Amino acid sequence: MKYFSLENLVVVFGGLRAVSNVSVSLGRGEIHGLIGPNGAGKTSLINSVSGLIPLKSGRILIDGQPIQNLPPHRRAASGVGRTFQHAEIFGDQSVIDNVLTGGFAHRQSTWLQDLLGTPGKFAAERRAYRAAEQMLDAFGLLQLRDALAGDLPFGTLKKIDLARALLGKPQLLMLDEPTSGMNDTEAQDVIATCKRIAGGYGVTLLVIEHNMRVIMGLADIIHVLDHGEKIAEGKPEAIQKNPLVIEAYLGHGSANHA
Amino acid sequence: MPWYAGIGVLLLAAVVLPPQFGSYYHYLAGLTLINVILAVGLNLLTGNAGQASLCHSSFMAIGAYATTYLVTKFGLSYWLALPIGGMIAAMFGFALGFPALRLRGFYLAVVTLGFLELSTILIQQLPDITGGVRGIATPRPVMFGYVFSSDLAFYYVILAVALMAIWVAYSLLHSPTGRAFNAIRNSEAAAQTLAVPLARTKLIAFMVAAFFAGIGGGLFASLVGFIDPLEFGIWTSVRHIVFIVVGGLGSILGSILGAVVLTVLPETLRGFKEYNEFVFGGLLLVVLMTLPGGLAGLGPLLWSRVSRRSGSASQPVAKAQDVNLR
Repeated sequence: MKYFSLENLVVVFGGLRAVSNVSVSLGRGEIHGLIGPNGAGKTSLINSVSGLIPLKSGRILIDGQPIQNLPPHRRAASGVGRTFQHAEIFGDQSVIDNVLTGGFAHRQSTWLQDLLGTPGKFAAERRAYRAAEQMLDAFGLLQLRDALAGDLPFGTLKKIDLARALLGKPQLLMLDEPTSGMNDTEAQDVIATCKRIAGGYGVTLLVIEHNMRVIMGLADIIHVLDHGEKIAEGKPEAIQKNPLVIEAYLGHGSANHA
Repeated sequence: MPWYAGIGVLLLAAVVLPPQFGSYYHYLAGLTLINVILAVGLNLLTGNAGQASLCHSSFMAIGAYATTYLVTKFGLSYWLALPIGGMIAAMFGFALGFPALRLRGFYLAVVTLGFLELSTILIQQLPDITGGVRGIATPRPVMFGYVFSSDLAFYYVILAVALMAIWVAYSLLHSPTGRAFNAIRNSEAAAQTLAVPLARTKLIAFMVAAFFAGIGGGLFASLVGFIDPLEFGIWTSVRHIVFIVVGGLGSILGSILGAVVLTVLPETLRGFKEYNEFVFGGLLLVVLMTLPGGLAGLGPLLWSRVSRRSGSASQPVAKAQDVNLR
């Protein structure tokens, strides 16, 4: 029994089965990749795990505890974090405020303290700022601390999204194409930073990635989705040689992914 | 000059200047600060949490009647009655927050409009309580036997409450709860995945805004000396929205600037006589079209112009923040 298990997840949009009986188990601290052609159901899968879209059936277990009936914010509070394909940054807020929001799950003041402005609240606020600044520094964003997030390029927004999610110290962090909008060097840097911080917290990663070079070097195990179904699971070398995977990518003429 | 020195000068002016002027100005200054309280509260709900509300004046009415009756009928001290009036308004705000859990944008605006209609009809239909068209007389606070009967004395009470209101808003916006407000306005999806509870956050936002309005209503009733039941209609609510839109959505400074300018300006435009409202409307349009961040965006805009001319890096200009009208 692995620490995290997604069991027989089914997501249906109208009549379409976007995710069909997909099971994934992840051991603590492992890094798993999730790949597949466009429309394979990768984002739907992590949306259903974070609770943004409803599951038709299936169970999500953290250390044996089912969380699939919890609302999204309670799933996040119980340790499921994620980033977004389109970054979902709070555009009219500063970079530091975006990242600070990621620490909401570990806030040390109640809403009444927040209103009254007690000394304890301001002390908690200073600690939160330090943690957020360290996180920005790790991603090389400290000089953009007070910039308005909406004015920044997409690759930077992806880094802010990742820093924001990491500040919540999730147990399971799902990354949706974390390196899109970045060149190869940037991508390698971001992945290295993410791996270092995630490793420090003991975070388990489930990564959707289109950059094959990144994912093959990063993941311990890779799961392949096609048309909502899981067609393969294995170590990166095995996946690269798997005829089903090659067919899923090349057979549909989407050779640019392979 | 550091920013806190600027605030110190402003505060000193707010304390020292009023006695130099006549009683009409004391009344106007009190009214301005009450509008500041109302605008700061509404801006937290609308500008930060992104929840539209057209019934800010209903919460004002609740605070006004509650404070007045707690003092005149129940013999409570004004200093207790005012916060209790605010809390009663907050309870109604909490109740009204529930429709907001399911509705957004225009739909929510229509629900709050319904609440406003309901409250105005109740006020009209209960002349025994509201005193009908003549209204009811309101009390002024008393401290150690001293009655704050002059507008100048009562101005200082309002000033103290307004400063507390600004402090609360400042503390809130620099806290996890305040960041949760901004998060749910920007992206409910992202907010939830960061453990922000949508329902709870919206209910808190409605409660806080209603509390501010209740306090503002209580002070307003006492300043004017009687409660005019026609005061708490749609036009008053719309004026509050104009305050925060012109001042700058999501900004405390914007709330203050909007309320001050739009309370004082109509008075100074008296000289234009029948063209008064024409000039007022024209100025509104100019501000809205040229200053996307409202009056609060004027500072950063000028700063970036100045620093660009002197060759240093320009500051990003505040953008108009979208209120979720989807």
